[in-house]
Amino acid sequence: MRSPSYAVLPARGLRAAVVLALTAGLATAIPAAHADPAIATTATTDTADATGTAGTGQAAPAAPTTPAAPALAAKPYMGWSSWSMQSSKYPGLNPDGDFSYLTEANVLKQTDALAAKLKDFGYEYVNIDSGWWRDRAWKPEFDAYGRQQADPVRFPSGMKAVADHIHAKGLKAGIYLPAGLEKEAYGDGKTPVWNADGCTTADIVYSDLRTTNGWDSAYKLDFAKPCTQKYIDSQAQLTAGWGYDFLKLDGVGPGSSKSGDNYDNVADVAAWQQAIAATGRPLHLELSWSLDIGHAGDWKKYSNGWRVDTDVECYCNTLVSWENSVDDRFDDTPGWTRHAGPGGWNDLDSLDVGNGAMDGLTKAERQTYATLWAIAKSPLYTGDDLTRLDDYGLALLTNREVIAVNQGDTPPARPVTPSDPQQVWAAKNPDGTYTVALFNLADAPAAVTADWSALGFTGKAAVRDLWNHENLGTRRGGITEALPAHGSRLFTVTPHGSTLTSTAYEAESTANTLGGNASVAGCSACSGEKKVGNLYLGGTLRINDVVVAKAGTYLVQVAYVSGDARSADISANSGGAVRHTFPSTGDWGTVERVSVPVTLRAGTNSITFDSSGPGYAPDIDRISVPTSPR
Amino acid sequence: MDIHPSRRGFLTLAAATGALAGLPAFTASAAPQRPADAPAATTDPRHLLWWQAPADDHSMIEQGLPVGNGRLGALASNDPGRELLLVTDATMWTGGLNDTLDADGQFPYGREDFGSLTLLARLTVDLPDHDLSAVTGYRRTLDLAQGVVTTSYVRSGVTYRRELFASRPDDVLVLHLTQNGGGRYTGTVTLDGTHGETPSGAESFAGALPGGLRYGAAITAYGSGGSVRVDGTRITFTGCKDLTVVLSGGTNYAPDAATHYRDPSLDPEALARTKVRAAARNSADTLLRTHVADHRALYDAFDISLGTSTAQQRALDTWERLRARARDGVPDPELEAAYLQFSRYLMISGSRGSLPMGLQGLWLDGNDPDWMGDYHTDINIQMNYWMADRAGLSSCFDALTDYCVAQLPSWTDVTRRLFNDSRNRYRNSSGKNAGWTVAISTNPHGGGGWWWHPAGNAWLCNTLFEHYEFTRSRGHLERIYPLLKGACEFWEARLLTTTLPGTSREVLIADSDWSPEQGPLDAKGITYAQELVRALFGNYATAAAELGRDRGYADTVAGLRDRLYLPVVSPTTGWLEEWMSPDNLGETTHRHLSPLVGLFPGDRIRPDGSTPADIVAGAAALLTARGMESFGWANAWRSLCWARLKNPDKAYQLVVNNLRPSSGGSNGTAPNLFDIYQVERGRGIFQIDANFGTPAAMVEMLVYSRPGHVELLPALPDAWSAAGALTGAPVRGGFVLDLAWRDGRPTEARLRSVGGRTTEVAYGSRSRTVTLKPGESVTLKDLAR
Repeated sequence: MRSPSYAVLPARGLRAAVVLALTAGLATAIPAAHADPAIATTATTDTADATGTAGTGQAAPAAPTTPAAPALAAKPYMGWSSWSMQSSKYPGLNPDGDFSYLTEANVLKQTDALAAKLKDFGYEYVNIDSGWWRDRAWKPEFDAYGRQQADPVRFPSGMKAVADHIHAKGLKAGIYLPAGLEKEAYGDGKTPVWNADGCTTADIVYSDLRTTNGWDSAYKLDFAKPCTQKYIDSQAQLTAGWGYDFLKLDGVGPGSSKSGDNYDNVADVAAWQQAIAATGRPLHLELSWSLDIGHAGDWKKYSNGWRVDTDVECYCNTLVSWENSVDDRFDDTPGWTRHAGPGGWNDLDSLDVGNGAMDGLTKAERQTYATLWAIAKSPLYTGDDLTRLDDYGLALLTNREVIAVNQGDTPPARPVTPSDPQQVWAAKNPDGTYTVALFNLADAPAAVTADWSALGFTGKAAVRDLWNHENLGTRRGGITEALPAHGSRLFTVTPHGSTLTSTAYEAESTANTLGGNASVAGCSACSGEKKVGNLYLGGTLRINDVVVAKAGTYLVQVAYVSGDARSADISANSGGAVRHTFPSTGDWGTVERVSVPVTLRAGTNSITFDSSGPGYAPDIDRISVPTSPR
Repeated sequence: MDIHPSRRGFLTLAAATGALAGLPAFTASAAPQRPADAPAATTDPRHLLWWQAPADDHSMIEQGLPVGNGRLGALASNDPGRELLLVTDATMWTGGLNDTLDADGQFPYGREDFGSLTLLARLTVDLPDHDLSAVTGYRRTLDLAQGVVTTSYVRSGVTYRRELFASRPDDVLVLHLTQNGGGRYTGTVTLDGTHGETPSGAESFAGALPGGLRYGAAITAYGSGGSVRVDGTRITFTGCKDLTVVLSGGTNYAPDAATHYRDPSLDPEALARTKVRAAARNSADTLLRTHVADHRALYDAFDISLGTSTAQQRALDTWERLRARARDGVPDPELEAAYLQFSRYLMISGSRGSLPMGLQGLWLDGNDPDWMGDYHTDINIQMNYWMADRAGLSSCFDALTDYCVAQLPSWTDVTRRLFNDSRNRYRNSSGKNAGWTVAISTNPHGGGGWWWHPAGNAWLCNTLFEHYEFTRSRGHLERIYPLLKGACEFWEARLLTTTLPGTSREVLIADSDWSPEQGPLDAKGITYAQELVRALFGNYATAAAELGRDRGYADTVAGLRDRLYLPVVSPTTGWLEEWMSPDNLGETTHRHLSPLVGLFPGDRIRPDGSTPADIVAGAAALLTARGMESFGWANAWRSLCWARLKNPDKAYQLVVNNLRPSSGGSNGTAPNLFDIYQVERGRGIFQIDANFGTPAAMVEMLVYSRPGHVELLPALPDAWSAAGALTGAPVRGGFVLDLAWRDGRPTEARLRSVGGRTTEVAYGSRSRTVTLKPGESVTLKDLAR
């Protein structure tokens, strides 16, 4: 069943196969007394031997007769991760040196707290992060086959016992490995590879011992050599045999602050997927960190999630801080938005909002943090000390309406306004409602407005405040709220109005005026298959003959292409320009849209995009001007 | 005349001025007059500013809304969940006399020696269930006409509303919280000092600053429908339908050099408690009514209309409106008029019955305001008071007069003892010493800070004298006469005789000095000093004549005046010279316009043919070179000068420049309309002078006056030309003007005498002479024909 071609099965087939595997895994994980009889009778129970090596992966032969268990990462996963507390200098967390928080006792304590406080809300993964195979001096330990093995001081009962405890609580267990062959595992190249006759570590790396991963802590694996997959297989078998349900593979490139051939770990990730499949155990594969968006297709193909950014932790006296680096996510996420979906999600990293003092954030910042993670459909795993959640933190983590936004069958939100200090993100839901988030990223309170016309409709809409569990009534045209510094609001908006009508003006129209370097270029994704680009060093696009009947402020929708976040100065007629930052569209072949308020007079107007700011402006596809002002 | 007053003479002077200055700043209030009528529920939207977001602890200077009763002030956050009031008293100054000079003969300038304005208290009202992230429909307004800040929002279907005002009659701050819809208030009220005081319980505290000033503050809270009780160091309230919090506080500052500016018998904490208890015997509505009547008595004396704004402009909140004004480049006449009215609100709130306003007025966000929040005598304090008379708030000017009068004995003493210190580079090379002068910075303890500022005395005097020109108040003239005379005596001792190169003409020039705040430190005959002293001498002559005093000395001063050197135009730069040198010895675009002090606020340089054309051209050339982009107060001064030169486009553009929304600390206007001064990139601070200087320029564009001459619409910009009106605008010479215009021309001008007799009223090339008795008025309708 698990043929080498498995990895290249079409997605639909892949998902079906994973369902089967998951079914089998559940049967392993759930104690007999609590196991669902339907599953227990339709799955073959694998056995794990005492050394932690998995069974040889006999297939689960029978299709389930009960509704299929959810596919891996059908929804963003929810849970807890150890790294935030490990990485913090918060008093008392790491008494035995850096990262010393990670111990069996602490993991079990957090497991129990998760089960007691958060499990009912969907949190299920308990993820052990880096260091479980390292002693307090951070020296790694390996078994006879060059595989990471538990540090006996941190995990005296071994990794399987921890997973068993987690499973006994009805939760899932996660573990962590770095990409590549860790240097200390190399052992002069003579270390044998488990279950691979004649293969040693010298047979799996490049002869020049080139290094890889985000820390250069490992030798790069050479997958042209037949032994190499066996090494990954051996790691996967060990992991699955211990009963883990989740693996974070860290330091993966391109990404993890690295680029270039030595740091291209796509083959590693593919090998991992193959190895996991071979174990017969469903194992969620999450990749870290700052994965290269240019390889989004690879990450989607081989994994269930990918960290889009650097660590959220501040490595300071708290777990995180706003500036380092919760706030970065607002700029770094939009390019990834369209890559998220069932099977693989954009991972914004830990959600540390459970204890204000320990998190190092204001209440407003914590709500904003949770709002972005929820609407971006990031996995929701907290790094907080679950035994010390404060009331507000518990309320944030257990708000069922907000969790439903994250876990429901709704698409991830992305900005519908430029990435200005006050910004609005939204998603149109399958039921016709909109998820709308208001953000004030400024350091002072500010009013933030969501205009219905930026969502594509006009007139009235009912507004539900998700954080506060209140209906705010019907609002015409939009909603304005006062937000604290770094604050947010999260609404479900139900339109009762009509579809927005607007007039489109193509950027490439010959009626427009190009200045400086600006030029028309082909663009297959663009309307008219053309756009205006090369807007830099003061290059301008002036869209002429924009006609409106009535003077006022119009929410002009700008369709644009911008592989990275770029700014443009936008003005109407002879008025002053306002600089707006356009969120990344992720690549140079994708068109996205944001709406910008522009004040127009009755009659004919011009709207100018000026690249006088630093760097390039985005390429402009077209603008759409609503029939009526704000 | 003895120009070296004896110690006895000094004490006599001190006693006299102390008596004139009146009672201590924080003192028992007279029984308030309680008006029978309720205040008008709403006012014209022209007098309303509004916002859709509050301030927080970190944005108080840009977003906090100011209130004040002329002495006791606060910046308020208006955050639903946490109302924070940063409370100030105008006299809450650290420091002291500061009369030990540094090694360079100049004054120390630190927060301990010279001193700084600091906060009196912090008042916090926490409402845990009203977190900003949990309320909807937030809005706050500043009703300029009533002097009330109102905050409203909805929480779980209940509309909550709070009013904040600073009452002068009751001498308290009042915060009144109400609701509509069955809501309840539960939370805490906390009064904290900011200088490490030990609280005397939840309801008051007392302290003393190192400089010896004692201070204290007190609160009380009362409500209905729930419980209000003292709980350790705070007041808790539970389930209240409404709540009123009353705060008072002050210091034992006394404007009397003879008692070293202290009233040792005053217990500020006890007095604050007394005031709070007295006020709390009244309902919040009664307190509000009393306050509004008092506020309106000043506010309503003047009005301005600069035209009509569009419905689209009116729909925007104040901050969005400022942003739209800058973005769209479209005039917003009602916003511009409201900006002026806001300055009047600040003046009423910040300058009554206590010390005058320094660099930040009454409003601080901490105890380390830049430049100590002090009195800068080389432009800033003067600018603070340019609009008071022009915008119908002559009584608010008195705080400046009271201050100068009360400081004079100490200024005189310090000058006599220290000015001719051999280390002081600005000392009189004549060896003579008389009268008084000041440092660039002054404090309220009789002391100076930073460097000596010889011409500062003249500028203060000229500012005080201008108030006389507006009001024709003989009482005021009598009070300031000793200041003018002492300043003349100082200059009589200081002026040097020199022969102009290449001529035999002997002139008097100022001794070594620094043209503020640039160029050589030891320049003789700087234009700044020559112009200010010339005006001082002229004003003194007028004062002596009006009061019938010191005829002989007045003749002496007149003789000196005639011999004063006056600046020429540099053949090199074409500019009016700043340093008695053809060379540009400073920064071309320097913020100060010191060499143009004869153009504004002085009247020596006039574009009406009475001043040599080359001088006017040289002044205009210098002004042009200084540019259009500077700090707020510098733009305001430029605007005033361009108004004097009858250039409406530039005068208006500088106003517009100051109205630009400040972003990231950039020069411009903050959301709360405070002017922001960019100290360095990314760091802006509040400087109130532009908030007064810019409106002064706006008025100066509509009417120019000097005794005997009133000129209508001298620099009316296109933006305001369609139609407008000015009501209750005092003009120099002792009149009050009502003016209406349409299509750029005056349609009606009404002049009422408040002491003036005869004046010319001009528009363009036409003029009319008007003669009135005090109280009489005349209406002119055909000036433009």
